[in-house]
Amino acid sequence: MLIDQLYFALLGLFGLGILSAFVTPNSPKATNYISHGLAALGCLVTVFCASAALQAGGQTIAVALGAPLGIIKVRIDYLAAYFLLAFGVVGTAVSVYAIGYSREYYGHRLAVMAGLFNAFLLSMVLVLTVSQVVAFVIVWELMTVVSFLLVNHEYEKTANRTAAYVYILMTNIGTAFITIAFLVLATAVGSLDFELLKGSALTENMRNIAFICALIGFGTKAGVMPMHIWLPEAHPAAPSHVSAMMSGIMIKTAIYGMARFFLEFLGVGPMWWGELILGLGIVSCVLGVLYALMEHDIKRLLAYHSVENIGIILLGIGAGMVFMSNGCPTLAGLAWAAGLYHVFNHAVFKSLLFMGAGAVMSATHTKDIEHLGGLIKKMPYTAVCFLIGAAAISALPPLNGFVSEWLTFQALFFLPQAIAGLTGKLGAVALIALLGLTGALAAACFVKAFGITFLAMPRSKQAEQAKEVSGSMLLGMASLALVCVAAGVWPQWMIQLLRNVVSGHAGVSVDNLFQTSQWYAVGFQAQQGTTGLITMPIVVIIIAVGLLIAFLLARAAGTPNVENSETWTCGQIPTARMEYTATGFAEPIRRAFGTVLRPVVHVSADTSKNPYHGVRMSFQAHVSYFINEYLYQPLTKGILTIANSFKRIQAGSLQLYIGYIMAVTAVVLIIGTRW
Amino acid sequence: MSITAISIQVIALVILAPLVQGIVKNTKGRLQSRRGPGYFQPYFDFVKFLAKDSVVSPTVSWIFHFAPYIYFATAIGAAALVPTIFTGAGVQFDNLFILVYLFALGRFFLAIASLDAGSSFGGMGGSREMFISVLVEPALMITIFTVAFSAHSTVLSAMASTAASGYISLSAVLAAIAFLIITVAETGRIPVDNPDTHLELTMVHEAMVLEYSGRSVGLIFWASTIKQLVFILLLIKLFIPWDFPGFDSDVMAAVSMVIKVMIIAILLACIETSTNKMRLFRVPGLMVSAGCLSLLALVAQ
Repeated sequence: MLIDQLYFALLGLFGLGILSAFVTPNSPKATNYISHGLAALGCLVTVFCASAALQAGGQTIAVALGAPLGIIKVRIDYLAAYFLLAFGVVGTAVSVYAIGYSREYYGHRLAVMAGLFNAFLLSMVLVLTVSQVVAFVIVWELMTVVSFLLVNHEYEKTANRTAAYVYILMTNIGTAFITIAFLVLATAVGSLDFELLKGSALTENMRNIAFICALIGFGTKAGVMPMHIWLPEAHPAAPSHVSAMMSGIMIKTAIYGMARFFLEFLGVGPMWWGELILGLGIVSCVLGVLYALMEHDIKRLLAYHSVENIGIILLGIGAGMVFMSNGCPTLAGLAWAAGLYHVFNHAVFKSLLFMGAGAVMSATHTKDIEHLGGLIKKMPYTAVCFLIGAAAISALPPLNGFVSEWLTFQALFFLPQAIAGLTGKLGAVALIALLGLTGALAAACFVKAFGITFLAMPRSKQAEQAKEVSGSMLLGMASLALVCVAAGVWPQWMIQLLRNVVSGHAGVSVDNLFQTSQWYAVGFQAQQGTTGLITMPIVVIIIAVGLLIAFLLARAAGTPNVENSETWTCGQIPTARMEYTATGFAEPIRRAFGTVLRPVVHVSADTSKNPYHGVRMSFQAHVSYFINEYLYQPLTKGILTIANSFKRIQAGSLQLYIGYIMAVTAVVLIIGTRW
Repeated sequence: MSITAISIQVIALVILAPLVQGIVKNTKGRLQSRRGPGYFQPYFDFVKFLAKDSVVSPTVSWIFHFAPYIYFATAIGAAALVPTIFTGAGVQFDNLFILVYLFALGRFFLAIASLDAGSSFGGMGGSREMFISVLVEPALMITIFTVAFSAHSTVLSAMASTAASGYISLSAVLAAIAFLIITVAETGRIPVDNPDTHLELTMVHEAMVLEYSGRSVGLIFWASTIKQLVFILLLIKLFIPWDFPGFDSDVMAAVSMVIKVMIIAILLACIETSTNKMRLFRVPGLMVSAGCLSLLALVAQ
């Protein structure tokens, strides 16, 4: 009973949050505090609701809505509760952060933004919980429309309008595919209830169609390459707390949809399903992180990292499906757990990083890291939070990103058990090498993002005058930073939880998964006699002892003097212009991966005053996106050409149009009578 | 493996690591027809660094001061994880991924610290260090996995015992050569980097840590020698684990290990003397060749 009370309470809180935004039109401060406060409260209740559901093992709530709408079924099973938990944790922090961040929007349609933010949260909860096809598609679209409005909030800028347009276009194409996938299943079963869709008897072809459609549909929302093009546009356009929610949770609802389909509805599929997902995953990883490295707009950089991390999640899911179809149930459980753990982790650290980027933006009013620098002295707490997020996303121990990447590596390592012979070995080693490459590139990218933004001297006036952000923003960031540390240092609790989440599905067994008696480890049995252990507390102890030894050793000779003296720059006075730039930092990688990135460099020298010495030079480098060039541009061109050719039948005469209607009616009648 | 055994191993590796560096430098000197520094010179250097005053730039933050400690800590952690004579015995937590990502942690902090002082020199070093790590990482993974696949485990001690029970084969030789190339790159030696200078042609690791002085530089320097020893030990335990016949007892195993470490140290000095520094943008080719060698090793298995 407790679960449904909590569930209705959180729906009510978000509903109130929407309404309250519009009852205090004269006081933006009241609007801000009440509306975002209710949002935070609602998210907190979601955490409790999800925890209760995880303890109880799930709950189904049926809500009768009256004659035309029928009964809406809400089912909070382990899978839904797990995603709700991630939503609740991230949502609470982001809503608290929003209180401080929204001050910038006083007099800038704040009420609309706050109301929509609550509606956005509400729609995400509904997406994760409704258990009926029509209701799901409706709330899915609701989520898209609300987030579209939020992306378009600052519609004065043309770039934002374009971003919002691309976003709604791409996700609607995705929704079309999702609808097809659902219809294929629902017609076979003859029911719209999620619970009955499980294990439906489909022919092989129909099953493949459902798989492909679900993959394209949810893949578009998740930002899987090559359907990702909306993502790096939409995330930077939205207000920062909204981008934190979009990147942290909204794209994860697509992973939730995939898990529903691939784990539950479609059952164990042929092996190429998993292999296709592995392929898409690794392409998203490597290209996503490479493009991220080339960015110096901090929010676009983070957006491309979302593409990368969705790729890592897909590696877990894809490996899980390969194991499922080859009869390795324990390994399937391990791989799914790896993917789903990364869902939680990425939700936490990416929201943290987007909030950090928002804090930097609200302090300096620029997104371009080439204009920043030295912020660690002006904004010390933001810097620490951002550093924790950066280390977590770079998969550095002992933070949470490392744990899920470790699990993913382990899952990929055991791929040869599912695919015998050299193919399996070579495939696995290629995936592992590329995932290792991704990790190294991500670390390089965040060295750049953190170093250029926060360290050395300020590169502009804005950066020089930056001030630490307000307490609520810091609280939001600090709480997620703590979660990053906790989920890394002590992952046992979450991993045990994941054991329940992946249990009870065909092709997955959790009997030998994550059951170890030692306090410091969770283990799994890959096959007879082969086990693996995840031992995070040991890693923490190793690092702590190492630090202790380092400090003792350094203090061994007493405390020598530390003298302050300016950085040596060959006798000149060091200025910010001598610092290394973000573009320069990424230069070796841009050149080495030139075949993929195809950089375009513009160098122009102004020799008008003096042709020899002291010439002003400008340097610009950007990369070209071959997916846009070879896929989307020809596609748009083709659509426009076809549309142009249809112009001919659109003569503008009313009689002609009536004629068309007549003709169509006649054709329909003829066909109708035939059958 | 008990806590005592780990402690002994860590202490032994930490104390012996600079000696290996001393052997390399001395051999290099002899190969270049000079006397070369003494074997124990690295220890004297370290003591000197500890006692010296530090000069730091006023632009730096706590990151700059903290980075050497975390770099040293990760090196100590690696020394605790690497398989030496105490292999086997039901150990499970010396996982390969922990080792690889501990090094990544240390590198991450040194690289961001290199941007802290605000000179383009440090930034360039940091940028190149990260670039080389990007190239080394996939090759390192492929090479180590040639052993991990045959051991069906990513636990280092299990991999070491599997490697020790195998015979010399084409696959093992190819993988060993690949790992030697990776060791050269990871420890910042010619032809990838030059540990003796930070000037124009190299500017990788040494340029990255150029702003450090006093005990910070001592810690970084010592950590680098530990890292070098860890890589040499990995090379020995995973790729050339075979002992001379009759070296069965623990003591003799330790003796043979010391001999092998010395041989590889001398080999590193020979490599460094016989080639010259490669252009930065030819390093990808070197790493690709290491990767291809290990792929061949995998196919030949």
